This record gives sequence, structure tokens and C-alpha cells, in this order.
Amino acid sequence: MPDKKVSNYLKYAGLDIGSRATKFVVFDGEKVVHWASELTGYDPVSLSRKLMDGWLFDRIIATGYGRHLATPSIAPRYITEIKALVLGARFFYPECTAVIDIGGQDCKVIKINGKNGIPEFEMNDRCAAGSGKFLEVMAHTLGFSLQNFGREALQSPERLKITSTCTVFAESEVISLISKGIDRKSIAYAVHRSIADRMNVMIEKLNVSGRAVFTGGVARNDCMAALLRESLPELEVPDNPEIIGAVGAALEALKQ
Amino acid sequence: MAEKIGITTTIPVEIVLAAGFTPVDLNNIFITDSDPPALVRVAEQRGYPGNTCCWVKGMYGAVKKNPYINKIIAVTQGDCTNTLAMVETLQHNGMKIFPFAYPFDKDMTFLSDQMQKLAGALGTTIEAAEGKRQELINLRKKLQTLDRLTWEENVITGQENHYYLVSSSDFNQDPEKFEKEVDDFFSEIKERAPLKKNIRLGFAGVPPVLSDLYRFIEEKGARVVFNEVQRQFAMNPECDGLLGQYLSYTYPYDIKGRIEDIKREVKKRGVQGVIHYVQSFCHHQIEDIILRDSLDVPVLTLEGDKPGAMDARTRLRIESFIEML
Repeated sequence: MPDKKVSNYLKYAGLDIGSRATKFVVFDGEKVVHWASELTGYDPVSLSRKLMDGWLFDRIIATGYGRHLATPSIAPRYITEIKALVLGARFFYPECTAVIDIGGQDCKVIKINGKNGIPEFEMNDRCAAGSGKFLEVMAHTLGFSLQNFGREALQSPERLKITSTCTVFAESEVISLISKGIDRKSIAYAVHRSIADRMNVMIEKLNVSGRAVFTGGVARNDCMAALLRESLPELEVPDNPEIIGAVGAALEALKQ
Repeated sequence: MAEKIGITTTIPVEIVLAAGFTPVDLNNIFITDSDPPALVRVAEQRGYPGNTCCWVKGMYGAVKKNPYINKIIAVTQGDCTNTLAMVETLQHNGMKIFPFAYPFDKDMTFLSDQMQKLAGALGTTIEAAEGKRQELINLRKKLQTLDRLTWEENVITGQENHYYLVSSSDFNQDPEKFEKEVDDFFSEIKERAPLKKNIRLGFAGVPPVLSDLYRFIEEKGARVVFNEVQRQFAMNPECDGLLGQYLSYTYPYDIKGRIEDIKREVKKRGVQGVIHYVQSFCHHQIEDIILRDSLDVPVLTLEGDKPGAMDARTRLRIESFIEML
């Protein structure tokens, strides 16, 4: 890895201030040479400065929910996360047809070649159901760590379903299933299935098929990826799916 | 001063004026109130469900806040059934309701009968209403010009276009004063240079409950050059009589007519993308399927719920849509 203090060649940075995590990447024009991620918390600007501390780069672009906060004090310009995700996904998978993103507080499906060749997208509605936060709450309720939640769900002996679409009501439903003595792995599976069902509605609405890229922190969850592959068998999961938006921002910095 | 009569959406306003009443569009007094969310709360405190359209709840609250309204012309067909239930709750407490129905299939006899019935109920005639139509033609032509100046000469913003066209459902309760306002606006924009925005957008669907939509679109480098339903409210003055005018009005009939109108205007105005605005819990959300399938340009479906400024996700949707175009 190159010395972060010395810049003898051009470097581009991307800063993705998400609702749950802030991601910072440095890109040398060919590959990501550094990345860091931390929970966004209550002071995203200070956190961004901390993540960037000591790194030299020629240009930087911001993205994510906090993109306006970062502009212009940290980055002179920003792009939306929809554009950033498309740029990032196409860098790693040039032939990809769509981006399926499940982040901390929302989920999105972006069809890269929509009407008139312009990307089309769908986002979930104004609630946390179908997001990383929902999984986090449910993992906690069921006593799993977030890291193992998907793996445990895949070992479910039963294929249960929960019917609530609201995080709060779904939690009550999960608690009632626990009280019935149902195996917590089966409940974990049902929680994952409920998110996959919501994603599938958006996937079908946009008529997405082929090689889609699964991004966002939730893409690290094996059960979510497995369930999404039922409708998108060619679904790709990048090595570091949570930084795809930040990479897209860095690529935009390179273009300018 | 003429007695005021509430209207739940656009109806043949010429009949109301011919009968000597002042029409008051309940949607307009709701959204221009100093505190629209408080009017929604009035309805919710009365027992209106959370999952009911805010336009309907806001109209209820507006009536409660303005007790001078004791008569309402309610559109019972061609609009939503929630409106119908809303006027029933008012009728339950003594409000006088005049029903008015638009035929789904644009049946001319049906509409003519409805107009006759309304005229009779208000104590006037269709002939008198036709006279009022003639009086309003000049004003309606000015609104047509205002619309043309928006898309052809690019000197009027989407927000201004929205305001003047949407106000024509009741002419801000005073057609003469409103015409003067339009004239003053024309004088004001006489020297205005064409607005330089690259992306030309269309706005389809019911008027937005969101207060900062047009401003935000302009901040992001785009401009609304077509307001579909608002333009319909202004009516085409070159129609054959009152009946012809309300038959050429697209909004209350099946969606086919609306789509033909949108497609024609999108082409004529060089619209690059359409924002289809839908209100939460509104039946028009289902029609979005047909609209998206039918238009040849990219469509962004935007959902609004409570009155006020847009939330971060709505802003992201708009910003991404403009960025992609």
C-alpha cells in the first residue's frame, strides 16, 4: 500500500456519508488503495475529517444522505448515492444490469438501462422495514450478533413467514413467535424472507434480470444474498459491498 | 357580499357564479392556511384514520376552521370515495351538500343532466351559466397565454405556472380580482429574461401537498414546464359551450384521456421527464401503473403525505431523477 502521506501520483477520494455508516475511499485511478468505515453517529462532519485524516488526494466528491453537510467544507461537489452506486457497480462489474442496495435505513433497486437508456430506480417507503436497521433490531431481539444473523437464518429448520411490514409491528410478531416456542433460527429466516419479498416487489416492478450487483452493508449477509439469488441467480456480491457508493464518488472525482 | 359555497374539486364553476354564490375551493383554503398540518390534525382528532389522504383531512379541517361555509358542492363520481365519506361526516353535522357526478365514460347526456340538476338546485339555469362562461373566456385565455409563456418563451417558473393555474378552480373566490392579479403578473414579467434551466420536466397528477417542490426542482437545475392537472383546472376556453368545456376537461374521467393529453403536451413542450405526483393513500397511486407504462419519457413517481417541506428521501428521489436526465 502506498504511503498515505506522500502523493507522487494522482489520487481521488470518495466520501459516502450514509445514515448508518460513513465510508471513505482513496482511489489511484485503477484500484482502491485505502478505505475506512465507521458508524455515522451524531457528528458526521467531524467523523469524515477523522476518516480522511492524513490522506492526501487531488480531488474528492461526497455522496450519501449527508452529502449536503460535506459540501463545500469537505468536498467541493457531491453526487446522489443513486449515481454513485451505478458508477461504483459498473467499475467492478462493467456488464452489470442493476444495483440492489440495502443500506442502514433504506433499500434501493436501480436498473441501469431503463427507459431511453436512463437509469430507473425504486426506493422503499418512508420506514425502516426492509433495511439494515430492521435486521439489526431483529438480530438483537433474537439474541444473534449482526455478523452471524444471516448464517444462522440459513440453518433454519422451518420456512416461516412474518406478515408485518412495519419494523415496530414485525418486532411484536417476532416476540409472539418466540413466546410460541418457535426455533429462533426459523424466525430469523422469516425476518430475512420479509425483506427479500419487499426487494422482489421493486425488482419485478423495474423488470430487472441478469447480472445485478448487491451493495450496501446488508450485502455481507449470506441469507439475504441467497434469498435474492432466487429471483436473480446471477447476483454478484463485491468483496466490500458497503464502499461501492464511495468508490462511485471517487470515480466521479476522477472524471472531473 | 355573495354567499360562499365550498367545492371539493373543480366543478362547473360558471353555474355557481351564475347562481350568485362565491365558490371556495376547499383544497385551496386548506393548503394556503397559515398552518395546514393543524387542519389535518382537526380531522384526525375527529376520528379520521392516519391512513387517509391529507387533502381530504385538510378539507375537513378547513371547513371546521371557516364556519361561514355551510353549503358544499361535492364531487361524488370522478373523484375519490374518501371525499364522499368526508362530506358525509359534515352532512351528519348539518352541512348542506349538493352532489355532482362526472360520468366515467364521458357520457354527454349524463353530464348534461348533472349540470342541469346542479343549476336547478342552486336556483339558476344553464343559459345563465353559459353567460358566465362567456364572461370568463377572456380570463381563461389569459391563463392559456400564461401557460404558453411558461414552456414556449420560458419566462414563467413552474411554481408561478402552478399557482395561477391551480387557482382557477375558484379564481381565488373573485374572478375580477384574480384577472387583475394575472394582468399585474404579466406586467411584472414583461422585461424578464428567459429562464436558463437545462432539464425540462412535466408534473402529472394531483397538485402537490409539498410546499418546496418547485423551488427544490429549480435549485437542482431543472424546471417544470407542464403542470398537467393544474392546466386542466384552467379549462380550454375554445370549447363548444359549457358542456363541451367540461367534457374536454380530462381529470374526472377515465385515465385514457389524461394520458393522451400528457403525451401530446410532453411532445409539444419538449419535456424530458415526468414527475408523477401521487398522494399517500390515494386511488391515483394505482393508476401510476398505467401512466408509467404509457409514457415514452422517464417517469419518477413521487409520493407526498403530510403538508409541508419534503423529507430527505423525496429530495433524493428528485435529485437523482434530475441527475440521471
